[in-house]
Amino acid sequence: MELVMSLSIEILTAILATGLLIIGLVTPKDQRRGIGYLTTAGLLGILGATLFMNNVDKTLLDGMYIIDPYSTFFKQLFLLAAILVSVGSYDYIRRLGYNQGEYFSLLVYATLGMMILASAGDLITLYLGLELMTITFFILTAYRKKDAKSSEAGIKYVILGAMSSAVLLYGLSLIYGATGTTVIKDIAAALQQDIQPIMLLGTIFVLVGFGFKISAVPFHMWSPDIYEGAPTPVTGFLAVASKAAGFAAMIRLFIIALPALQSYWVVIVMVLAAFTVLFGNFVAIPQTNIKRLLAYSSIAQAGYLLFGLVAYSALGVAAILFHSILYVFANLGAFIVVIAFGNHTGSDEIKDYSGLARRSPLMAAVMLLSLLSLAGIPPLAGFVSKFYLFTSIIDKGYFWLAFVGIGMSMVSVYYYLVVVKVMYMGEPPEDSEPIKLPVSIQAALYVTMFITVFFGIYPSPLTNVALSVAKAFFPF
Amino acid sequence: MTNPVIFWLIALVVIVSGLMVVLLKNIVHSALFLVVTFVGVSATYVLLQADFLAAVQILVYAGAVSILLVFGVMLTVRGDIKSSNLFNRHKLSGGVVALALFLIVERIILKTEWVLSKNPAPESTVGPIAEAMLTKFVIPFEVAAILLLVAMVGAILLAKGEGKPQ
Amino acid sequence: MLQNYAGVGVFFLIAAIFPLILLATAWLVRPKRPSPEKLSTYECGLETQGPTWVQFKISYFLYALIFVIFDVETVFLYPWAVKFQALTLFAFVEMIIFIGILVIGLWYAWKEGALEWL
Repeated sequence: MELVMSLSIEILTAILATGLLIIGLVTPKDQRRGIGYLTTAGLLGILGATLFMNNVDKTLLDGMYIIDPYSTFFKQLFLLAAILVSVGSYDYIRRLGYNQGEYFSLLVYATLGMMILASAGDLITLYLGLELMTITFFILTAYRKKDAKSSEAGIKYVILGAMSSAVLLYGLSLIYGATGTTVIKDIAAALQQDIQPIMLLGTIFVLVGFGFKISAVPFHMWSPDIYEGAPTPVTGFLAVASKAAGFAAMIRLFIIALPALQSYWVVIVMVLAAFTVLFGNFVAIPQTNIKRLLAYSSIAQAGYLLFGLVAYSALGVAAILFHSILYVFANLGAFIVVIAFGNHTGSDEIKDYSGLARRSPLMAAVMLLSLLSLAGIPPLAGFVSKFYLFTSIIDKGYFWLAFVGIGMSMVSVYYYLVVVKVMYMGEPPEDSEPIKLPVSIQAALYVTMFITVFFGIYPSPLTNVALSVAKAFFPF
Repeated sequence: MTNPVIFWLIALVVIVSGLMVVLLKNIVHSALFLVVTFVGVSATYVLLQADFLAAVQILVYAGAVSILLVFGVMLTVRGDIKSSNLFNRHKLSGGVVALALFLIVERIILKTEWVLSKNPAPESTVGPIAEAMLTKFVIPFEVAAILLLVAMVGAILLAKGEGKPQ
Repeated sequence: MLQNYAGVGVFFLIAAIFPLILLATAWLVRPKRPSPEKLSTYECGLETQGPTWVQFKISYFLYALIFVIFDVETVFLYPWAVKFQALTLFAFVEMIIFIGILVIGLWYAWKEGALEWL
């Protein structure tokens, strides 16, 4: 019974997802519009329930599953992202006209997979959570069946995703073979003695597997095509939440289970981070499609997040937590604008955003603030989180990496401002009219804008939460 | 300890049939050789005294997955089935990468001092699996059910034709 | 334990070799007089018309898919059934939930027409 109580968040999420699937089956086709609203309401309810879990710190079933402030923090992050995405999906999915129940149900199942990933205390649970998330995303990516790009993205994602899962699984099995346990905290204990070469191989494979999931260079090649082809709300969810979930599991695995190999993996992560930041930002410059631009920008953001892992300190982990929250709001703000714009005009090309400021001041403002926050311009929230990330690595003496990060942030300002210039300086098309937004989208846009500005001006509440959560990893 | 000859014989079957899957030009033949690989892997499970796992391997992989695979091939339209599983232009570079990876993994595996279990193999493997699955591994167990459900829903969703009356 | 499987191995070996011997004997003793008529593909007494590799119906695939999923379910059910007497009520409830989740999947397949042969 205690087990059920501790797992209440996951169980509620599973019930919500399954319930949505059943409701989608039993309601007549023309009455399925309400399912979207029901999803948002349900997710909000679960988010409310997580607030009671903030201080719970429990290890279930001999370390198999961990409910601690760290996992609860990430669960809240996933729920927030899922809520914003579900709000952004109403019109999009209605236009698609089929399988609305399944869409929202799969969205919630993906959230469940992420939650399990963040809470997993052993490798098997971790892998199953990861697969639940990834398989759900395979389906969601290919959701627009009539669209060749969406199908192509689905196929590419299935093949590369399966490949990366195989690499990860092989790595995990090698770690199991070398230590004789799958429980994360027991792995650390087993590594107290001398380290076998096979551990190193396992660690590298696991790193590569996670590198795919968080799209770190050189394992990023799947993401731009898939981000472009997938339905836009799914792209937003994929770019934000699945990446955060990958980080959640990766941080726990590497910091708790593999501190003995820290001197090895830090070097690899450092190189990955540097390449990811350099490549993501430079390749974003020539993009003409807004979804591809955001895809490359999100590759670069993954690189910044890796800085926190390189730092290997409480500040580094706290900075990752802080940055991922802001990344959720900034990126989803931008994506909701892209969704609304796409619903209205059917285009994702940057040149069509010309004169958006006059057609819809709200959309242009949210896009502006989101992009500037992603670039890290003060006084927006992105500045604070990047400041923490860079401080955390400078503390450890990696000046060159901080230098790369800061330099590339400058580069990113350029391509973000290109979009801003088109929106504010460009002329709207001749026959265009003001874009009317549904109330739900407006509300979501206001929320993302408010959070992005608020935590930029007054970051301390979130900083304190992030620091206290991160302390659990470095109690010394 | 079993006879190493048996092990090497099984390993040979697995590797040769695995190579055939990749090298044969007719994808139907590849699929059939994949079944041989699955059966061979199941034989290695028997050598490891994991009899339940061996049965699962036969039941799920050799039995069900291969059927799915063959049906998948039947769905595709191809003019010439004799050249349905071809190489792309990166034959050489792919081979070099695979060989390099093999050499690295092989070196490291041989260098490692593996910890061998000193416990005797259990008489029955099914019982302990059931106990572990339903007590300690209960969360992964239920997640597996959800995973299967999602996979089924997704596959039906994507495979089903459009515009059919519900 | 392994010795129990030696018999199975021998059985498989004989089962594999025996047909080979039969075919080899037939090959040795039969007269060899091939003609084009004999070498042509035989299909229900008629000559093959058009390409033989055509696209099959999606229903085959959907059936196979549902079969795989319930096949995997069997794998989970079997150990549970073997240990049923020794397990607690909790384990029973777990399995009910497990089956319940998959029954929803079956219901979905049914409702969406994946089980119909159109």
